[in-house]
Amino acid sequence: MRIFSSISALFKREFQITYRNFSDLMSIFIFFLLAVIIFVFSVGPNKEIFNEIGVGIIWTLILLSNTLSLKKIFQNDFDNNNLILFHMSGLSYEIIVIIKIITIWLFFQIPFFVVIPISSILLNVDFVNIKTIFLSFLIGSPIITCITTISGSMNLLNKKNFAIGSLIIMIFSIPVIIFVVNLTNVSIEIANAQIKILLGIMFFFFAITPWVSATCIKLGLQNK
Amino acid sequence: MKFLINPNQFNKFADIIFKPLIFLSISFLLIGLLFAFLLSPNDYQQGSTVKIMYIHVPAAWLALITFFIMTVYSILGLAFKTPFSFIINSAIAPIGATFTLICLLTGSLWGKPMWGTWWVWDARLTSVAILFILYLIIIFLKNSFSNVVVGEKITAILIIVGSINLPIIKFSVDWWNTLHQPASISKLSSPSIDPSMLKPLLIMTVAFTFIGLLVAIMRIKAEIMNRKIK
Repeated sequence: MRIFSSISALFKREFQITYRNFSDLMSIFIFFLLAVIIFVFSVGPNKEIFNEIGVGIIWTLILLSNTLSLKKIFQNDFDNNNLILFHMSGLSYEIIVIIKIITIWLFFQIPFFVVIPISSILLNVDFVNIKTIFLSFLIGSPIITCITTISGSMNLLNKKNFAIGSLIIMIFSIPVIIFVVNLTNVSIEIANAQIKILLGIMFFFFAITPWVSATCIKLGLQNK
Repeated sequence: MKFLINPNQFNKFADIIFKPLIFLSISFLLIGLLFAFLLSPNDYQQGSTVKIMYIHVPAAWLALITFFIMTVYSILGLAFKTPFSFIINSAIAPIGATFTLICLLTGSLWGKPMWGTWWVWDARLTSVAILFILYLIIIFLKNSFSNVVVGEKITAILIIVGSINLPIIKFSVDWWNTLHQPASISKLSSPSIDPSMLKPLLIMTVAFTFIGLLVAIMRIKAEIMNRKIK
């Protein structure tokens, strides 16, 4: 029972930290909306073009906004030695990583369900496509969260090169982007097959992320 | 086979094979170029541009093989804690990046007269471009840690996760029917390439392998010396 109480305490702590730092969270979504507006300015306010490329723009910006949350996952807890305290309270590093993935997904991905319809209206995306974007986001966002977690735990001791974490996220989310953006352009049979492939990628990342991240965290803590 | 995991044994082995390797690589390169430019026929459709193949295909193979070797050594290094495998990783990553760049550039030069464009977003081309960026990220990630031990272990983890790109490159021409032609030599049935063109291609592959080994040996020896000084 002690493990469950420490897990729930960790959840509660994550919720509190995020809500006390709410402007930090909001700035990511304002970045998303601002980037949509900048896209409109740079391409020109042509409705037909945005109807074609709107889904691609939205997914690219979702990915870029996710790279902004990279340093928020483990860096503070690592610098303050909180991760060791969590571990001393009976949680293995793998479970800490799983809890972090769930909280990060709740805080940094669920608000996109509000922002995506707004940006879809701004970009003149069809209503049918918005439903597809929601479905693909429901599958694609956990994958991106997992990749962000891996990248964030890899760069804990990295004090020289800040952009490389974003590079790792972007290069591993290429297959996700390919299948996710394709969903809006293909017929229903192919879309079913692609959703299954995406689910496969999702479960693959669910399987490997706790181990990979925990290994990286242990490496960082040993050599701090 | 101790020289594959032991630095001192590797140094002894490298001293033995270094001079024969120079001789072999120069002679194979000369013979291969002779065959490629004088003795092999022009293609009936492509003309003399087919001779780009003798650089392009060996470079592509070696780019993949280098990443495969790095993956194997990363697994060995993380599982059995052999520090020599990280030395090899950091020594041969730039070689693989160079071969990938050669492959991309020659492919681009070949594509302009044949396909009419320098670059298409074909599955094979895109995955090789991703391989090149992955090599660059591996090199940068290793250098961005002030602690060398952490840097090379985390780079090894990245290499293992990134090796998922290798089967995608290999089978991209079979899974997606696109502009780049499928494999014509490594097919299980007889190869669909004429023997007069296959011979220089194989000789050039051997020459490229020897050149790659030569540079790898030099870089690994320099890396070992570097670690000893530290």
